[in-house]
Amino acid sequence: MIVLIEFLGIQRTVTKTDSLDMPISAETRVNDAMEYVRGRYPQLHLEESMVLITVNQEVASPDRVLKANDTISFLPFISGG
Amino acid sequence: MEILRQIQYQPARAVGGYTDRLLKVDLSKKEIAIQKLAPDFKDKYIGGRGYALKLIWDGTSRQTRYDSPENILVMASGPLGNEPAFPGTGKFIVGTISPLTDTFIDSNVGGHFGPLLKLAGFDALAVSGISQEEVVIMVDGDQKTITIAAAPVYDRETDEGALAFGQRLLKDIGGGQYSDCLAAVSAGKGAVNTRFGVTHSLYFDRRRQRIRSKQAGRGGTGTVMRAKGLRNIVVRSSLSKVDGNNAVDKKGVREAGRRLKEVISKADPKQLHLSAWGTPVLSEYMDKFHIFPINNYQYGQSPHSAKLFAHVFLDRYFTPRIPDGCYYGCNLACAKGAEDVELTRGPQAGRRVGIDGPEYETVGAVVCMGIFDPHFVMEYNWYCDEYGLDTISTGVTIGFFMECFQRGYLNVDDTGYELNFGDIEAADRLLHETASGKGFGKIIGQGSARGKQWVAERYAARNNVSKDAVIAELNKFAMEVKGLEFSMYITKESLAQQGGYGFALKGPQHDEAWLIFIDQVYQELPTLEDKAEALKWFPLIRTWFNATGLCKLHWIDVRNPEAANTSEPAKNLPTLAHYTHYLNATTGSNKNLQDMLDDSERLYILQKLINLRQGKGRRDSDQPPLRAMAPAFFNEYQFRAEYYDQWLRKNLSDGKLPSSPEGRHKLLVEKRIEAYQQLCDIVYEKKGFTPEGIPRRETVEKFGLMDEQAEGLFQEMGL
Repeated sequence: MIVLIEFLGIQRTVTKTDSLDMPISAETRVNDAMEYVRGRYPQLHLEESMVLITVNQEVASPDRVLKANDTISFLPFISGG
Repeated sequence: MEILRQIQYQPARAVGGYTDRLLKVDLSKKEIAIQKLAPDFKDKYIGGRGYALKLIWDGTSRQTRYDSPENILVMASGPLGNEPAFPGTGKFIVGTISPLTDTFIDSNVGGHFGPLLKLAGFDALAVSGISQEEVVIMVDGDQKTITIAAAPVYDRETDEGALAFGQRLLKDIGGGQYSDCLAAVSAGKGAVNTRFGVTHSLYFDRRRQRIRSKQAGRGGTGTVMRAKGLRNIVVRSSLSKVDGNNAVDKKGVREAGRRLKEVISKADPKQLHLSAWGTPVLSEYMDKFHIFPINNYQYGQSPHSAKLFAHVFLDRYFTPRIPDGCYYGCNLACAKGAEDVELTRGPQAGRRVGIDGPEYETVGAVVCMGIFDPHFVMEYNWYCDEYGLDTISTGVTIGFFMECFQRGYLNVDDTGYELNFGDIEAADRLLHETASGKGFGKIIGQGSARGKQWVAERYAARNNVSKDAVIAELNKFAMEVKGLEFSMYITKESLAQQGGYGFALKGPQHDEAWLIFIDQVYQELPTLEDKAEALKWFPLIRTWFNATGLCKLHWIDVRNPEAANTSEPAKNLPTLAHYTHYLNATTGSNKNLQDMLDDSERLYILQKLINLRQGKGRRDSDQPPLRAMAPAFFNEYQFRAEYYDQWLRKNLSDGKLPSSPEGRHKLLVEKRIEAYQQLCDIVYEKKGFTPEGIPRRETVEKFGLMDEQAEGLFQEMGL
């Protein structure tokens, strides 16, 4: 089973890719996905307090269990200037 | 320059953020007066927007229009503007009666003008009257003179350009050199020929070694300026900008500024990274969540959108690694710009220019016309600036007429040429015609609300149908409320932001409330009560920023990591605490956040009173076009049919959908309209208004605003 982690905006310029596949088990959680990204891209400085995590475009908590083919995004906080 | 009137004066020094002086210039009589403001004036009206509101409320009447001699053009910073130790303090407000809405409009703008005006001794400048000859005003704190002079005449190209004329004037006054002791406001020929001319704020950028511009963009403040015969206002002061407010507690100011700068430095690079990308970074996120206003807000997403994502502008145009703050001390520095860009179209094709922008809103305005060409964005940006046109109103109005063409309400006989979405040549031609007031551009220059009437009359006459019936159809997709064009966000899927635009007192500009993400994406406002609470709280805190001379971005677009530990992270309260400290350290007050909100609410109610007086204050003035609430036409429904069907399933008590797609579209529209009306009821109640959207008598009295004029208004309304 895999999930897709997508990179947006500034993240893409750091990772040089639009997305990353991550293999998961039945107990893989959003937190694990963050760790996975941190391990692959330490220069991204991904911090839970700096982003809003979404799974399939819905806000998700760090302990949410992932399912096959989920899409995970780490969005900045946007409030419209 | 021929001096028409000049006075000598002694510049007052700011104490605790205020000079307590108002500079009044009457261009009809060529009179200049300095008014010392009573101590309670600042207590009640704060500064910035508050000063503009009070002056407009007292000095104009129901009959006042944008070009009436008694209309007042107010420019005011605020007690917290002008402090390099704190980020984002270069803002000032331009407020007046709008040519688009016929009621109060204000637009906030960065640059050096507001700070220098204060250093030259004034909290605000109020210009009334109309000069028969074109003039400039010079406020010279160094020479201690205030002057009304005949506007110089250079050559045609310079005289017509808002940027060119302002730059030339600043250089001449600076003795052949630019200086950051000088700043100006300027308006161009587009402001003469349209209702949506901007007021430019021009300032010298030492790093780029050129004059840059920010714009008071919304509502036609530049049009008012030119209607007064006013070409330019220049202000000069060589006084140090450090501690320009002469704060009561200087150490406290430095400490508050240091803490906020620390938050920005730490958090912005890990969030939107506005300091590197500027506001075009938003394009990608708007497209992802179907908010990008493509083809007059019909579709929120397109496979072509990536051509306009921020990295394109960063790679191809923006000058990298320049701290682009529009005032000293700003470490968010989002005012991106480009140098040496070749114009390929229009009357100045072949020229290489420096461009200030684009901001996200300008990118949005271009996709509103169905265009996805980054170079056209740059050229559109520059020409709008040089002509002095609001990129938003220009793009939205052209987009509306393109859709009229698409749907058969207009044809080539009306426009003179094909006007299709995505047609760069047509859009470009129309831009130049609009600025010049020629051809079909003359109609565009009247804006969407008046344009709607023009289309309806022609279509009704041609097809022998009633004009009212045509208007009813055009109302579905003419993206304006109260006469002002929408800023660049699709609100169909955010009920809260429908209110954010519909209730906005100046019209649908998002500086009162931008709730799309916390509503639509973050799902932090699940109930009507939550949405209504947000629609009261956010406009008040945002009003406070507009009254004090501050940029909002440091608060609203950089989330303090500590906010995650609060019950309402979207309010970013840990960052607001730095603003409270800055306020108290500057002015010597002892206010808390609730006091700041109460101060703002007084201004909000005063603005509502002006709207009521001008006929834009009741419930019917808060109704957005159908497209702001729902897919107005079947093609929009089809574009996201699966999503809309799912929405219906969730929102129907029995979950049973009509069998036909047409039936589902119709039901969706009905549900969305119903929801907005429910929102109106609960928001009005929350704000202390009647169901008609009128402030209750006790609401007005609570803020000490029931003066003779307000009393008359209430008696007239039978309240």
